[in-house]
Amino acid sequence: MHPWQDDAEIFRHRRARPVRNWERWLVAVLLFLGVQSVVYFGQWWFRLEHVNNVALFVLLSTATWYGISRLLIGWYNAFHIDQPDPVDAPPGLRVAIFTTSAPGEPYEMFVRTLAAARDVRYPHTTYLLDDTRDPRFAELAREMGAVHLEIIGVPGAKAGKINRALELTSEDFILVLDPDHIPFPDFLDRVLGYFADEKAGFVQVAQAYYNARQSFVARAAAEQTFAFYGPTMQGMHGTGTSVAIGANCTFRRKALDSIGGHGLGLAEDLVTSIRLHAAGWKSCYVPEVLSRGLVPADLDSFLRQQLKWSRGVHDVLLHEYPRAFRRLSVHQKISYLMIGSYYVVGLTTLIYLSIPLIYLWFGAQPAVILLADFLKHGLPIGILGAVIYRFTQRWLCDPVRERGWHWRGTLMKIGSWNVFLRGLVLAIRGVEVPYIPTRKERHRGNVWTLARVPLLTIMLSIVTTVWTVIRQLFFVPESEVLITTEVTAGMVMFLMINIVLMSGRVYAAWVDSEVRE
Amino acid sequence: MKARTRYQIMFFALGWLIALGVLFQIGFGSVFSSVWAPVNERLTRAAQWMSNAEGDAVRNVRKGSRKDYLEPMQPILNSMSALRNPPRMLFGVYDGGFPNTFAGMEQLEERVRYRFPIISFYSSWGDKPDQQFPTRMVESIQRMGSVPLITWEPWVVDFDERRRTNLPPLAEREYATLRAIARSDYDFYIVEWAKAAAAYKKPIFIRFAHEMNDPYRYPWGPQNGNRPDDFIAAWKHIHFIFQKFGATNVLWVWAPHISMPWFEFYYPGPEYVDWIGVGVLNYGTIASWSRWWSFHQILEKAYPVLLKLNKPIMISEFGTIGGGGDIYEWYSQAFYHLDHTYQRGVRAVILFNQSQDTTLAGYELNWSVTQSPRATSLVASELARRSAM
Repeated sequence: MHPWQDDAEIFRHRRARPVRNWERWLVAVLLFLGVQSVVYFGQWWFRLEHVNNVALFVLLSTATWYGISRLLIGWYNAFHIDQPDPVDAPPGLRVAIFTTSAPGEPYEMFVRTLAAARDVRYPHTTYLLDDTRDPRFAELAREMGAVHLEIIGVPGAKAGKINRALELTSEDFILVLDPDHIPFPDFLDRVLGYFADEKAGFVQVAQAYYNARQSFVARAAAEQTFAFYGPTMQGMHGTGTSVAIGANCTFRRKALDSIGGHGLGLAEDLVTSIRLHAAGWKSCYVPEVLSRGLVPADLDSFLRQQLKWSRGVHDVLLHEYPRAFRRLSVHQKISYLMIGSYYVVGLTTLIYLSIPLIYLWFGAQPAVILLADFLKHGLPIGILGAVIYRFTQRWLCDPVRERGWHWRGTLMKIGSWNVFLRGLVLAIRGVEVPYIPTRKERHRGNVWTLARVPLLTIMLSIVTTVWTVIRQLFFVPESEVLITTEVTAGMVMFLMINIVLMSGRVYAAWVDSEVRE
Repeated sequence: MKARTRYQIMFFALGWLIALGVLFQIGFGSVFSSVWAPVNERLTRAAQWMSNAEGDAVRNVRKGSRKDYLEPMQPILNSMSALRNPPRMLFGVYDGGFPNTFAGMEQLEERVRYRFPIISFYSSWGDKPDQQFPTRMVESIQRMGSVPLITWEPWVVDFDERRRTNLPPLAEREYATLRAIARSDYDFYIVEWAKAAAAYKKPIFIRFAHEMNDPYRYPWGPQNGNRPDDFIAAWKHIHFIFQKFGATNVLWVWAPHISMPWFEFYYPGPEYVDWIGVGVLNYGTIASWSRWWSFHQILEKAYPVLLKLNKPIMISEFGTIGGGGDIYEWYSQAFYHLDHTYQRGVRAVILFNQSQDTTLAGYELNWSVTQSPRATSLVASELARRSAM
């Protein structure tokens, strides 16, 4: 049976495999080679003879080195991959599970989630933080042995409700469970033991999904998370920088109290973890699948989620990060900068997309570089990047379902560049995006509204290619045609690559336009 | 462990890592470069193939090309013996935009309504990609129907110190370079050029280490301990290597500075030289040492000596700047003397179409004939008259 079709297999506990000594050494060697490949590229890239148009060269260098620095930090992070040793949960802890419901969320989802929360073995109280004003939800909570807390009109959406519920309850440990996540019975048993450390502020576990094969978008969105909950967060655990992600995070009440409650904002989880870290609390990442939830299955919800995150994360970078900076450890300073600048990829993608267009329309060229020379100096980085990416996949939480090149996730990430950029602009201008819970069911869409920017990019690339061919054939002096073959062909090749990169989101939009509601 | 001990260990380890890294860079750099060489060659060939295809397409679409214009000249331009003793005067052009663009040359050719059979450009020694044999450039020139003339300048400081461990350190390298060339120190580079030149097959002019007798100009001059014997030995050594690797398609242009005395002592001998190159550039009144010289004034003293060597003479840099005299007058006299004074010896003239020359003065000198419309139409009619002959 296909690994994604067997429900019993999907809803089963899994833990990333332990790190062996030889693997750590091998990662160290790969890291050394990686650094060398970057040095090799860097001493070549920054040569004066390469510079042509200074402004464009600065832009291109910024984009290139933004990517390379992220790669380097990622490799350094992989070198620190570490897992906490399992600790048994001591009996007698007072634990609460918080799950929230909002108007418009499907009733059936809560039936499943609340039943699963009830079946979590460690003694606990489940609270449904509800503002649907729907009597069925109160009834359902009662049926499932959960406490129904009607919390209406608090600001700050989910986090606001959590803060209000913290005032109404008294348990020492709070698991915040997203309503689409179905916890496994041993969830709390595998998490609570880590709080034996007095300084442990929160314990995060992996997020996994059961609808990752529902659609192209679902698959892409899930692919974007695999490496993060696998090697990335384990490396962050190793450097003491693992973060809280909205769902599936268990907090110590004292920790939340010390920072005045759960943080608010579009990236409320990130706000909370940076404040807890700044207050000196330790974080723990447990690389285990202890629940499975839903990932956006249609492009509209996916893009809304991306905009929300981009806007929220940039907010953290611009406001929370400077405030917390002095109280963070060196690793935390770097880590939050990396997270905070993740969506700058929207800007660097714009730079990459523009360079061939600028050359082919206006003749301005950032650098005089032979393609062969670029390949020669860039290839080692590319090879090591691929090798390290694949090698560290042995520490995915569920390798059978998660291993791969994740090209759908990459295509959707690059295809969403304008959304990220919008998030950045909105954050700088301080314009709010309303908090909307991510939609849980598929939605029909329109190709043009869902993929306008990538479609325009593709059209512009095609028009430019056609115009270039015409111009080369009829108007450019013959000698110029002959001597500029490489540059022109190279730039047209980049245009073709851009078309491919933009095609993922267009395809996703087209698929959504065919959905029957 | 104490924090101090930990820092000491880290410091120590970091030191070793950096040392290891430096060693790794040196080792990896040279190994990878040799591994990469065949890939590079294939990529160059692919680019050439693409360029050819593009050139064919352009030619088909436009129903003609620059090469068609030069078709009557092709029997001369493709024959080594005809090029050693051309039946008519050949004209050529160097443009300041080379090798990045041919636009300047195209403009000049449009304005003088002529296509130059020789295209001249400069290439200096070194390890950089643009210092290797310019296969793409010469192939393109050949496709355009012309013959390339490469001025090959031994600027030896561009060889990578880490890769070329047999060479002296950069600071000392420019001393007695020519003797080092004769001693085979630079064979690694010369051989690659010889092979690539042989692979090109079509005739090509190479002007090596020009103005070798001028102590004020280039590092291969006498001021750096380069004696005439050293120059001759280096020349013969290079000639030998090119012969050995089958690059018999090269026409060797020996180009002394004729305003300096005793240039004839640098002559390598008739069997090693095909042409004599002479730069005739009038610097006008831009510097204390210069004044307005006519073409004839620059050439007349050296001409009888050069003529005795019995080789065709090429005015390898031909032009004047605007300051201090009349450009039209200069060109008009020059063409007069080419017809009436130097008709026996001078067989080629290369226009120096450089409008932004910064190599000598601290500011841009404009050598282009196009700065004077009258001189431009004069040159156009002189070229037309000669190609009608």
